[in-house]
Amino acid sequence: MDVTSQDITATDAPRPGRRTFLRWLSAILATIAAVVLSVPVVGYFFGLRKRSVFWVDLGAVGAFPLNQTRRVNFDNPLRQPWDGVTALTGVYARNEGKNEEGADQFRVLSVNCAHLGCPVSWFPQSGLFMCPCHGGVYYADGERASGPPPRGMFHCEWRIEKGRLQIQAPHYPTLQDTLTASAKRCTDSSVHV
Amino acid sequence: MNYHSLNHICSFRFALRLSAVVGMILLNAGGCNLSGKPDQADLPVSPEQIANFDQLYTTNCAGCHGATGKLGPAPPLNDPLFVAIIPEDELHRVIGDGRAGTLMPAFATVNGGSLTDKQVKLLAEGVKSHWKSEAPLDHSPPAYAITNEPQTIPAVEEHTRRLAIYQRACAGCHGPDGSGSQGNRSGPGAINAPAFLALISNQALRRIIITGRPDLGMPTYAEKRGRTAEYEPISTAEIDDLVALLAQWRSVGSTAVAEQH
Amino acid sequence: MFNLLKQIGRWFDVRLGISDTLMPMMRHPVPREIEGPLGWWYVFGSAAMTLFLIQILTGIGLALVYVPAADKAYESLLYLNYQQPLGWYLRALHYYAGSGMVVLLLVHMTQVFMHGAYKYPRELTWVLGVFLLICTMGMFFSGQILRWDPDAYWGLAVAGSMAGRVPVIGPRIVHLLLGGEIIGGDSLSRFFALHVFVIPGALIAFLAVHLWLVLKCGVSTPPVAGQVVDPNTYDATYHEELKRGVPFLGDAILKDVLFSSLAVIVVVAIAAIVGPKGPTAPPDPTLAGANPRPEWPFLWLFGLLSLSPPSVETFIMLVFPVIVIAILFLVPFISNRGERAPSRRPAAVLFVIVAYTALGALTYEGATAPWSPKMTAWSGDPVPENFVKERSPVELQGAVVFQYKNCRNCHALDGVGGRRGPDLSNVGTRMTANQLIDQVSNGTPGGGNMPAYGKQMSANEMTVLVDFLVSLRPEDQLPAGAAETPIVTAPGAHE
Repeated sequence: MDVTSQDITATDAPRPGRRTFLRWLSAILATIAAVVLSVPVVGYFFGLRKRSVFWVDLGAVGAFPLNQTRRVNFDNPLRQPWDGVTALTGVYARNEGKNEEGADQFRVLSVNCAHLGCPVSWFPQSGLFMCPCHGGVYYADGERASGPPPRGMFHCEWRIEKGRLQIQAPHYPTLQDTLTASAKRCTDSSVHV
Repeated sequence: MNYHSLNHICSFRFALRLSAVVGMILLNAGGCNLSGKPDQADLPVSPEQIANFDQLYTTNCAGCHGATGKLGPAPPLNDPLFVAIIPEDELHRVIGDGRAGTLMPAFATVNGGSLTDKQVKLLAEGVKSHWKSEAPLDHSPPAYAITNEPQTIPAVEEHTRRLAIYQRACAGCHGPDGSGSQGNRSGPGAINAPAFLALISNQALRRIIITGRPDLGMPTYAEKRGRTAEYEPISTAEIDDLVALLAQWRSVGSTAVAEQH
Repeated sequence: MFNLLKQIGRWFDVRLGISDTLMPMMRHPVPREIEGPLGWWYVFGSAAMTLFLIQILTGIGLALVYVPAADKAYESLLYLNYQQPLGWYLRALHYYAGSGMVVLLLVHMTQVFMHGAYKYPRELTWVLGVFLLICTMGMFFSGQILRWDPDAYWGLAVAGSMAGRVPVIGPRIVHLLLGGEIIGGDSLSRFFALHVFVIPGALIAFLAVHLWLVLKCGVSTPPVAGQVVDPNTYDATYHEELKRGVPFLGDAILKDVLFSSLAVIVVVAIAAIVGPKGPTAPPDPTLAGANPRPEWPFLWLFGLLSLSPPSVETFIMLVFPVIVIAILFLVPFISNRGERAPSRRPAAVLFVIVAYTALGALTYEGATAPWSPKMTAWSGDPVPENFVKERSPVELQGAVVFQYKNCRNCHALDGVGGRRGPDLSNVGTRMTANQLIDQVSNGTPGGGNMPAYGKQMSANEMTVLVDFLVSLRPEDQLPAGAAETPIVTAPGAHE
């Protein structure tokens, strides 16, 4: 009897149970489809690539005369294989002698101006870095001398390995993502900025 | 409506004519040179590839040595006597490494400058070939290089000899004690100022004494201009003596030198 | 033959329904005045669209050759310029048609603003127009990046540095913008996708809605002083107006055709005569002498940024553009009724005059960029000969120090040299030796525009430099502070 009454409702009148179910089903399926589609795609578009740590060799310590600033250009290992000449990166390295323990001390500065990232030039006669864009000027130690930069130049992480100066491959430095902050982040991977 | 369609036809003819003209322009562009067609020769040369003396000189030297190699504040390079006496190796070295004790900076990349070794060589050769004397020099000039670095405290008779040379060759313009012709702006001015002497090396002094500043009216070691009629060119040793005198003024001051003796 | 063509046409028309749908659209009535001389005000939008069509055409053409890879893009541009027949011309046309599009968009917007055509019921049409302007500017910026030369590289660097100032999420935005840790192939691919897919797609979509709204709301009548817009009565009045209107696909469209043709001819001529822009040097960031400049539609922002004090700089970079865009969006919502005639809207006219004067002045400043030091001035700009002649040995050495210490990079002599600081040709009449020593040693107090040279030069260098600077004055003028100068000084103004 039950079967008959069900059949009647199925043929003669709208079947709210199935229709509602179908509505819900399509809504749920559409939502699932949207989620499984968008999560990886959005992840692809907005995800961050893992920042790897590379050390770049800048040359023997002896190649850097004491208290002189030298421009060193190198091929940035953070490059893509198809980056071409754009992967070339420059830094200014300065041999600052030895500390009390007799360890070599260096100062390695990014060429990118702290103001808007333009490439600064070193003028050894006046001992100043000057930026061609808005005239930011820095002293030999990278401290701001004048002009619009909100801070001094970006310092690269450096180390001496077997008598050779090495720096951590620099990413493009900006005010909230400096080159020293990233070094800290890499050693302490739990910190995420 | 007729009026409208007539209008259409007129503008169509106009448009046709215009497009014909434009088409001609475009066709020409394929075959011959339109002014907008770029020339590969206009591409910028990267700074280290520049191998043209004039261009290198203009961007690196003209600031101090003058647009034409003279009438700059730094000693002129466009000076046949200077070009004749300076060895090319020395010129090469000075451009590349700078000149210690003076304001001449080092331009070679190994010294933190901006010029490749090739470019430094090109500049040295260029100075030699561009500004050499047309006619051969009529007498053999003194050697460029300073022969012996002077002693700061000389013996009395040596000092007297140096002063005598100074009186003969320099005092006419620079005054008896090197303080220049006072109060006269157009005069050659003081050469005993400590700051001046501190910023010029003995070698550079020797060079200026030999070549003078022909662009600014200072005579060479041999010229009679501004000197007595019986003036004879000073010898290479006498030039060293003059340099020694100036070096002495540099270390203790010209009045102190006078009092010492 | 003609009948056959007609039959074929009909066959398609029955299936596509062109004469039922598209033709009425094209023949939609427009106000009668547009047939008259006032119709010339209505031609700018269509001309901008015509140039956009050129952009699509030339863009496709360039994409046939251009390689959007960081190591090949520059070479492919050189190939276009020098090898590919007419490649240079296509590049030039793409650049100048794009520039013309920006110009015409601005003129079109100004006309719509001045005539109050954005008022009810065309508010949304204006909003879509602002979207189109944003897209066009986006095309200009991303297009400059594709011209993969140092300007492109450093343009990205500047954009990255600006984005890096956004609080908290700045570094993420920089990463998103550059597509990686450094400026390189990922950045170029990103901007290629933006320039070729994302922004043009958005632009076409916005343009479609914009055109639909033009059809839907109709073209506004030329403004008449005293005829006010009232949303309650406007539709009925406009409907009456259209009853005596003329079809758009008739004489009304002729002005559009003529002006668009003229615009095309002008950009074609400019492209052929001036030729393509760049690329200059290869995009090698280690090349000396980089002097990046933004494209002309952004020069005003460059100028504004450079002239603003550092304290408000971040605000101008991040907030100001948002405010400008917000104001543009809000225009029809601030006033969507009332007078439309410029003669009755002095505030609107004043706004346009002020805005364009400011844009023009800032663009001029941005183009001349007097705040940028001249990096080669110290070694390349000769000391003027009249500052060398009749100078003492000390002063001559001071002139050498002036060059040697790179003073010339910011200070001109006789108008030649950097223009960041004042021209010092007459500084001897303005400052005494002591004042000069103070100025040179300490720079601008508080870290302004001039660095403190106190530790950058020796006492002897300072002495000869100041001697030289004091000597910089006309022959007949006394040095500053000379006792004889009969100058009436205000109290306290001495020294």
